[in-house]
Amino acid sequence: MARSNEVSINESKMVVPLNTWVLISNFKLAYNLLRRPDGTFNRHLAEFLDRKVPANANPIDGVFSFDVIVDRATNLLCRIYRPSDTDEPPNVADLEKPVKSESSSTVPVIVFFHGGSFAHSSANSAIYDTLCRRLVGLCRAVVVSVNYRRAPEHRYPCAYDDGWTVLNWVKSRAWLESTDSKVHIFLAGDSSGGNIAHHVALKAAESESGIEVLGNILLNPMFGGELRTESEKRLDGKYFVSVQDRDWYWRAFLPDGADRDHPACNPFGPKAASLEGVKFPKSLVVVAGLDLVQDWQMAYVEGLKKAGQQVKDLYLEKATIGFYLLPNNAHFHTVMDEIKKFVSSNC
Amino acid sequence: MVPYETAAAAPPIPIGNPPASSSSSSSNTIIPKPPEIDGLLAGAGYKVRSSDLRHVAQRLERLETAMLNSPSQQLSLLASDAVLYNPSDLSTWVDSLLSELNQSQSLPSLPSDLSDLMSNPTALDGSWMDQQLPPPTAAVHNQQPPQLTVVTAVEEDSGIRLVHMLMTCAEYVQRGELALAGSLIQDMQSLLTRVNTGCGIGKVAGYFIDALGRRVFAAGGGGGVPGGSAYENEILYHHFYEACPYLKFAHFTANQAILEAFDGHDCVHVVDFNLMHGLQWPALIQALALRPGGPPLLRLTGIGPPSPDGRDSLREIGLRLAELARSVNVRFAFRGVAAARLEDVKPWMLQVNPKEAVAVNSIMQLHKLLGPGSPGDPARPAPIDAVLGWIRSLNPKIMTVVEQESNHNQPAFLDRFTESLYYYSTMFDSLDACALQPEKALAEMYIQREICNVVSCEGSARLERHEPLANWRERLTRAGFRPLHLGSNAFKQASMLLTLFSAEGYCVEENEGCLTLGWHSRPLIAASAWHAVAETAVGAVSDVPVVGGVVL
Repeated sequence: MARSNEVSINESKMVVPLNTWVLISNFKLAYNLLRRPDGTFNRHLAEFLDRKVPANANPIDGVFSFDVIVDRATNLLCRIYRPSDTDEPPNVADLEKPVKSESSSTVPVIVFFHGGSFAHSSANSAIYDTLCRRLVGLCRAVVVSVNYRRAPEHRYPCAYDDGWTVLNWVKSRAWLESTDSKVHIFLAGDSSGGNIAHHVALKAAESESGIEVLGNILLNPMFGGELRTESEKRLDGKYFVSVQDRDWYWRAFLPDGADRDHPACNPFGPKAASLEGVKFPKSLVVVAGLDLVQDWQMAYVEGLKKAGQQVKDLYLEKATIGFYLLPNNAHFHTVMDEIKKFVSSNC
Repeated sequence: MVPYETAAAAPPIPIGNPPASSSSSSSNTIIPKPPEIDGLLAGAGYKVRSSDLRHVAQRLERLETAMLNSPSQQLSLLASDAVLYNPSDLSTWVDSLLSELNQSQSLPSLPSDLSDLMSNPTALDGSWMDQQLPPPTAAVHNQQPPQLTVVTAVEEDSGIRLVHMLMTCAEYVQRGELALAGSLIQDMQSLLTRVNTGCGIGKVAGYFIDALGRRVFAAGGGGGVPGGSAYENEILYHHFYEACPYLKFAHFTANQAILEAFDGHDCVHVVDFNLMHGLQWPALIQALALRPGGPPLLRLTGIGPPSPDGRDSLREIGLRLAELARSVNVRFAFRGVAAARLEDVKPWMLQVNPKEAVAVNSIMQLHKLLGPGSPGDPARPAPIDAVLGWIRSLNPKIMTVVEQESNHNQPAFLDRFTESLYYYSTMFDSLDACALQPEKALAEMYIQREICNVVSCEGSARLERHEPLANWRERLTRAGFRPLHLGSNAFKQASMLLTLFSAEGYCVEENEGCLTLGWHSRPLIAASAWHAVAETAVGAVSDVPVVGGVVL
């Protein structure tokens, strides 16, 4: 046990910068303490450990943020990030100033779902606050980061429901409309957030809501299935993630008694409905070559293609999970460029 | 549209920030921080010196091995029982986890840090990808950038309009255009009748309009707080205590820390800077009674305003507490010190015995010392410095400080107004979760008085000079105090208390060794604990104004 551990530590050390290794290893070890074998989660300790940042209505590097309570009944909070052209703080009464008054070109609105395998992190986690701020500058977008309810306290479909609630809320905000009087919505997320983005887009496509999602951006999305894939076996425990912990998180999120072929986990698996003919948005799927879940992510890409959906996959051979959290590697910049192109090509 | 004074005009927050990080609200410049901290990890909420990264990485490796080698039961125990502190300080945190695990394992002790750092080719097998790290960008949100935290509820249009008008009015006030401000106030008052004042901004707007009115229309300037007898304040305070968890959290967290600090001491002395009804102390007395090894001798010195009507209210509270202490077999002595202002208190009045362990407890009092103080001798230290100085001379084992987490003491009126508008609307929002009447209505009145003071008073009358935790950290450090971190146990118990007694929406957060309580994502009150570093010179010659109501 110790020997293979040594091997995996050495391997992971070789592929990421030192500070990234420290960050992700710290998460890994802390998370080990939080997952209990009986399937419960040490939420108090999780909240104690999570590094959070408050919203800030004063612009920092051209971005300011504020929090909005979207649904009082479930205490559903979103953090909104907006670009600021000036260094002057906005008149705070203008937080919800119409985006079209500030830009004659279309303003994308990215609804972002943070990662954390459905159990960890929040919209106000420092790592995600940083990422969302970056997206604003990159895409000249408004970013709406959803503080969805987490497992195991809130299982499927809570996170999806929260995403759906926010999607409807965003669609109905006049201040988010571009000059063509429409809100230009993209969904984005990493890890579990990517999974949520898929399912919210699916709901939008299948419902009669008329909500059009212009594109989905999935970073290392969290999918799985009952089968053990080759990548899971090959990469188990090697780069910060193990099959065992993936299984734990699925057990925490999926309904009692469900297995990993549940469509929430395996959207192109034996229990899922076909996506053929569904008006599903175009997708950008980023896959890290050292992520043990990659076979499921590539299967997702294939599934979309077979269903006639538009999808671009970006396979980054030497990337591990979490590479997009710190801007200190080439993959990070590659992905940011792709996201920028993806979002602007529609607007 | 320039609602805020620009960086050039506004002086930095008067805390003695190093010039590099002076808080200009327009932050296009990179905010430099100590060059040795890894900027990217700082953006993720962790403080690690770049030069320490390798060392931390090694410790993480050891920790992983240790965790793998320990039985899962031991890990659960670690997670549930070990007290952990300040996760931002990664280095210390990893080391504390390691020592927790090592204590329960019979592993050979680890080599000293020094030998770890010496090059050891077999241990450092893989080569790190030592990429040129890009220079730290200004994504340092944990430093001291000006923060303006806003949580809004979905608002109707007239609510938004009201906010616009409030901001405009405050701007007129700042510019001295009182006639314009006055007429806007009248417009707002009529708009108020058409706004949903049930929740969110609409609710608190009325109080701010009222406060602005007092400032603008009051003859001779400096509108006063409505009513304001000490007795009334106590009643309102009590209802604020009942209606929402802020004061309970403050008392509970402070008591925890005090209890721990008193461990092993037989004679302890608590100095309470604002006794009120002594609501904080029954719990501490009971906890001390249950202490393994038996309770200490507890002395409590309660400071409070003099009673106008000849009643000795301090003494009455003291007697009640003594009664309680007697019933649980805790030897107890009470002393009341009546003083109109904290800066009038002199240390000799507290009669601290050098052999006692002293705890100084300040729940929302220190900010009152940030004002200009009495005019006169400019050589006198500012009230806050004078008081912190004598606290330090008492050599307390612990000083517990709870303060409102907001900046209501900025030099520019508009800045104060804006922050307090958002602060108090969040607080009011949280009150809505309380169903009890009349607690809620009276609690709102309590808060209203604070609002009035922040908005309509100036100079020595403006007592509610709240400043955020970052400022207090700096100030207390400069005054010779060092933090005593509040840990995961205090965090967990505070969280549990909240779920038991309060609505969903309240949240406790850990902030580098301090705990904050807030509503949704906005911290509203911050609790911290401190102790004094070794003092050399002690004691001032006291001149002796007589202070009434000293009781033993």
